[in-house]
Amino acid sequence: MTTSPGLTLRQSVALVWRTLRSMRTALILLLMLAAAAVIGSLLPQIPNSPERVGRYLGDHGFWGPLFFRAGFFDVYGSWWFVLITVLLFVSLAACLFPRTRAMIRAIRQRPIHARELDGFRHHAEVRVGTGPDEAAVIAARYLRRKRFRVSRDGLGVAAEKGVLREVGSLLFHWAFFLLLLGVIVGKGTGFTGRAVVTEGETFVDALLNYAGEIRTGRYFGGDFTGVGLELLDFEDSYRRNGQPIDFVSRVRVLDREGRPTRTEEIRVNHPAEVGGLHVFQEGFGWAPVLDVSLDGRRLWSSPIEMARDDPPDDVPATAMPWRGAIKLTAPEPDVTITLELWPDLRAFANFQLTGEPTSMLVQFDPYIRYSVYVGEIVDPALSGVDTTGLHRVGRSDLHAAGTSTFRVPRSGELRLSFPELRQYSVLLVSRDIGIPVVLTAAILVLVGLIPSLYVSRRKVWIRAEAAPGGALVKIGGFSLQRKDAFEEEFDRIVRGIGGAEAVEVQPEEKVGTS
Amino acid sequence: VNWTRISSTAFDVTIWLYLGAMVLSFAHLAARRNTLWVLARVVTIAGAAANLVSIVARGMAADRVPWGNMFEYSTVLAFLVVVGTLVVVEGVAKIKTLTGFSLMFSVLTLAVAAMFFPVEPSPLQPALNSYWIKIHVVAAITGSSLFAIGGIATILFLLKDRSERRALAAGRQRAPVPIMGGAVEVDAPHDLLPDPEGAGGAPEPRRSGVLPSAAALDRVAYRVIAFAFPIWTFAVIAGAIWAQEAWGRYWGWDPKETWSFVTWTIFAGYLHARSTAGWKGRRAAVIAVAGFISLLITYYAVNLWIVGLHSYKNG
Repeated sequence: MTTSPGLTLRQSVALVWRTLRSMRTALILLLMLAAAAVIGSLLPQIPNSPERVGRYLGDHGFWGPLFFRAGFFDVYGSWWFVLITVLLFVSLAACLFPRTRAMIRAIRQRPIHARELDGFRHHAEVRVGTGPDEAAVIAARYLRRKRFRVSRDGLGVAAEKGVLREVGSLLFHWAFFLLLLGVIVGKGTGFTGRAVVTEGETFVDALLNYAGEIRTGRYFGGDFTGVGLELLDFEDSYRRNGQPIDFVSRVRVLDREGRPTRTEEIRVNHPAEVGGLHVFQEGFGWAPVLDVSLDGRRLWSSPIEMARDDPPDDVPATAMPWRGAIKLTAPEPDVTITLELWPDLRAFANFQLTGEPTSMLVQFDPYIRYSVYVGEIVDPALSGVDTTGLHRVGRSDLHAAGTSTFRVPRSGELRLSFPELRQYSVLLVSRDIGIPVVLTAAILVLVGLIPSLYVSRRKVWIRAEAAPGGALVKIGGFSLQRKDAFEEEFDRIVRGIGGAEAVEVQPEEKVGTS
Repeated sequence: VNWTRISSTAFDVTIWLYLGAMVLSFAHLAARRNTLWVLARVVTIAGAAANLVSIVARGMAADRVPWGNMFEYSTVLAFLVVVGTLVVVEGVAKIKTLTGFSLMFSVLTLAVAAMFFPVEPSPLQPALNSYWIKIHVVAAITGSSLFAIGGIATILFLLKDRSERRALAAGRQRAPVPIMGGAVEVDAPHDLLPDPEGAGGAPEPRRSGVLPSAAALDRVAYRVIAFAFPIWTFAVIAGAIWAQEAWGRYWGWDPKETWSFVTWTIFAGYLHARSTAGWKGRRAAVIAVAGFISLLITYYAVNLWIVGLHSYKNG
């Protein structure tokens, strides 16, 4: 193939098509896809862990921005990953169309007769007692019984077996198109969101309730179901050594109008299906219920979902205290209360005395330390607290079922009470209508794969000739795969066609079999 | 009954027996005495039996399937590599000389497990507590062990192929050697496809040196990898189904998912290369070795160093 400058457009297209069709191209694209995935696993990815990407950029002043511009931090969403995938599928289609056409033709067609039988790799002649016509009929019947596709034409028989190899191979490859379709439709029209719900509260499936913790597909229509999940109870259980046993959210499902329909137990490995949504147990945390009033005026009365700090090395995450904040914009100036929760007072006491971190798995006299700040709250909706512009007026502490008062200068007396400590559950909510398609495609991949690897295509030809005292049956055959296994099968066929009293005329010729 | 004790004793016995069997197997390669081979087999089977005891006792001690963390996974992997070699390579393919290398792989696997991630038997963490651990993990270990055997055979093929090529170049003046299976068939009709199982362009087997012919090694490597590939495919699919159930998505490019995909892709490339003119033989073998390395990364690097959802070092 020359790439002379005199190519017409038509010729160039043909050239590109031919290149895409070649196995070499498909192979290189396949290995490029693997290489791209390797990059994606070695560098932190924005969709999975944006904070680690930020850290990487901070640590690698030269390579960081370079990788960023190349899309290395979002490999699976980068234009070049999409390009490789698209080219691979185009190459696959270019290869599959002609193969499929050829396969359909081969299935429709009767096996083709051969004129010369001596030249085949496997070749034998047997003398039988019957006439040539009957010998051909017997041979055809024998091969049919061995599940060959047989075509008899007078004294000649052509037979083949193992078309399933090609059928399987094509099924395997075409199934990837179905897989791609299922992924694109499912991910494109669906969403995945994180629902945080405290015991006794209800989460309603609506955009704002996901508080930004949601990723929607490109073609997602915004049609949330409006169903509610009321968390009746969350339970985490541990063994004595601190190893978790199970995490369970007991949830009451409410319809659009808020009427209870049923209850579900959502636990790890046991998601629930609610109105076309899949709901998974993902995480949990502590949510102290606090009542806050300033000079007798109630400003806050609800649970606060606390977050846990990342533990330093060698410290179990369960030993870390939980943090949260209450932002009050009603008083003048604004009041911010930052909270540090120790669900187990013993762990706090132990840490104060010995400096040893202790896991806190159950609540035991929960304890809160808090600091009070005054100053303008820049972003009241944000969960985190930036204390840089604020003025700290002091700190105090609070036990469960207890009350604590705090004097805020110029504002009045702040009164905090801590009636109870609840838990919140983090539920992953997702909608993906492509799952059945993807599953079907995966099954087809497997179903096609097995015959495409293990079935071998083989052909056998027979020609009966009149001979003194009966007939001479010439048998030729070859196999495209598993050639050494076919050698035995061919011997069996020769014996089967010849029958017990047959005489093998000349030993079969073996050319370089292994 | 102290199952923990039995399991750990059997584990130690396994390492020593495998080590002894490995030495005996290599001695057989060097000296070619049949007595040595028989002795090596006896010790290998004793080692495999001890390995099995260690696995079963571990399961009894923890009261669950004995493949819930890296230590246990390694124990089962070592067992399956040895048994797989005995059954597939010695039994089916009739190649006696590979077992020493498989034993070496198993000894290393066990030694690494004992040194770097020993853990006491303990119950499963909630994310692993599903019947899918029986399906997905069993498929993954079986596929891995077969890929490992295929990888060992491929590395030996590359070594042997080189020495055969050298010998061939040295003996070029003599009579030409007949062409082997992978060559184009003179009698093939119009729709000839290359045979992916044919020896990959390897020259005539010559009974020289301690290893079987390159063609035989190449063929057994292909057979084992072609056997492993659907199992690995099934393991990835089963993993995706489990991931959908446990994490709410069937695929999320978690490092383990990514590397099992990379491994799958490379071996898929190998199988295609086998039936592509010009890629057979050494080139295909290099792809298989890359797949073997990718497999080791999928198991070791992803579990130990790359942060992800599959970091099950401690169960």
